[in-house]
Amino acid sequence: MIILDNVYKRYQTDHGPGKWILQGVSLAIPEKINVGLIGRNGAGKSTLLRLIGGVDQPNRGRIERLCRVSWPMGFGGGLQNSLTGRQNTKFVCRIHGHEEDLQDRIAQIQDFSELGDAFDEPVRTYSSGMRSRLQFALSLAIDFDTYISDEITSVGDAAFRQKAAAAFKNLAGRASLIMVSHGEAVLKQFCTAGIVLQGGQVCWFDNIEDALRVYKESLPT
Amino acid sequence: MTRSAFLVTYSVWKALFLREAVSRLRAERAAWVWLLLEPVIHIASLMVVFTLFRMRTVGGIDTAVWLMVGMLAFFMFNRTATRSMNAISANKALFAYRQVKPVDTVLVRISLEGFLMILIAIILFSGGSLFGLDINPANPLAILVGFFGLWLLGAALGLIASVVVELVREAGKIIEYLAKPVYVLSGAIFPIAAVPHPYQGWLMFNPVVHGLEAVRLGFAPHYHAIPELSIGYLYGCALITLFFGLSLHQYFRIRLITQ
Repeated sequence: MIILDNVYKRYQTDHGPGKWILQGVSLAIPEKINVGLIGRNGAGKSTLLRLIGGVDQPNRGRIERLCRVSWPMGFGGGLQNSLTGRQNTKFVCRIHGHEEDLQDRIAQIQDFSELGDAFDEPVRTYSSGMRSRLQFALSLAIDFDTYISDEITSVGDAAFRQKAAAAFKNLAGRASLIMVSHGEAVLKQFCTAGIVLQGGQVCWFDNIEDALRVYKESLPT
Repeated sequence: MTRSAFLVTYSVWKALFLREAVSRLRAERAAWVWLLLEPVIHIASLMVVFTLFRMRTVGGIDTAVWLMVGMLAFFMFNRTATRSMNAISANKALFAYRQVKPVDTVLVRISLEGFLMILIAIILFSGGSLFGLDINPANPLAILVGFFGLWLLGAALGLIASVVVELVREAGKIIEYLAKPVYVLSGAIFPIAAVPHPYQGWLMFNPVVHGLEAVRLGFAPHYHAIPELSIGYLYGCALITLFFGLSLHQYFRIRLITQ
């Protein structure tokens, strides 16, 4: 269960505070339900995900995480450029308390990310696809109750996308998913419930089809 | 399975320490050589100057020993303070993981710099005595107390500066300029005892001077240290600023990770 209580968020710009991105978002996301987050570009989808993941803090309001929530996958952070993929992997495993089975986890991540020899090269030499693959493998190797995914299903080549989809399917039952995607098919494939984000407000739908329909109706024709 | 708060913090510190150590020692080609070479260059170049002035002894001890001990003690303070100042911005990417707090990155850098400086000091002192310098830790406890006090003061200033630099971006440059005279006014490159009154009294307000003199006295009991030397003053300053630095981190803990 993740509870957002009257959450407000705006970013600090070079000339004072910017405009409000989220205005009084109150939401309770239940466990074991895959949720799709829908909204137009700049509506604040990534901002909301980052707040849920705890990467950023709201200006007002409160966010409570009553389960283990992952960091947002696929937003590009969490990797140190000067270090190798392996060193970054070790760091992430260590801070999540996997000191004992470190080697197993590393093997698993190295295998899933399909980086090959590049695993021992500095992350700064990686292409964006390689980075996302590593991040994706990292978050999957750590056990969470809820995974947060920001457009992760659209990274990598076709083969990797299939693998990612299969991995998401495997999560079902063990963990839930909160995802942002612009692909209608992807949302329908993974999510049962939906959240539509509009004008800084959210609207919850128990059925993703309803959410998509409302979202499409709101678009200017 | 939930880990206790202490266990989480411990694992974060451990992981951060290892990662900082790797990037400090392997970031560029032979980075560890520069770590050693920087104090050596400072000592050697000042040694040349002192030799030109034909100053064989300072305050009753060999110039080389005086310089080396003072410089390493100063580096203990200076490196700890300056390296930890930039800890937060250097580790921005890691705050994606909720368990990593800004203060962790600063504390880890502080410990790493202290640890490295102890190793560097041991290597250089052993090297110096192999070259025939009269380096004899006559009062090891006094040396450790002095080094520890300087490290603590560096840590405290680093904690404060790390918050200030994050909140006010321009502050980094100002702090850099303010830090420059400290090198000159700490008694690392010329003896404070040679400064006439009343200016000497003013310089004694700088706690770093007390630390440097105390460490020198630990190496050579016959050294003519400044009579006003007070290790208590160094520790007083260090603890007060440490309290202030930790409070700043506590007060701004949310602000520091908000974008």
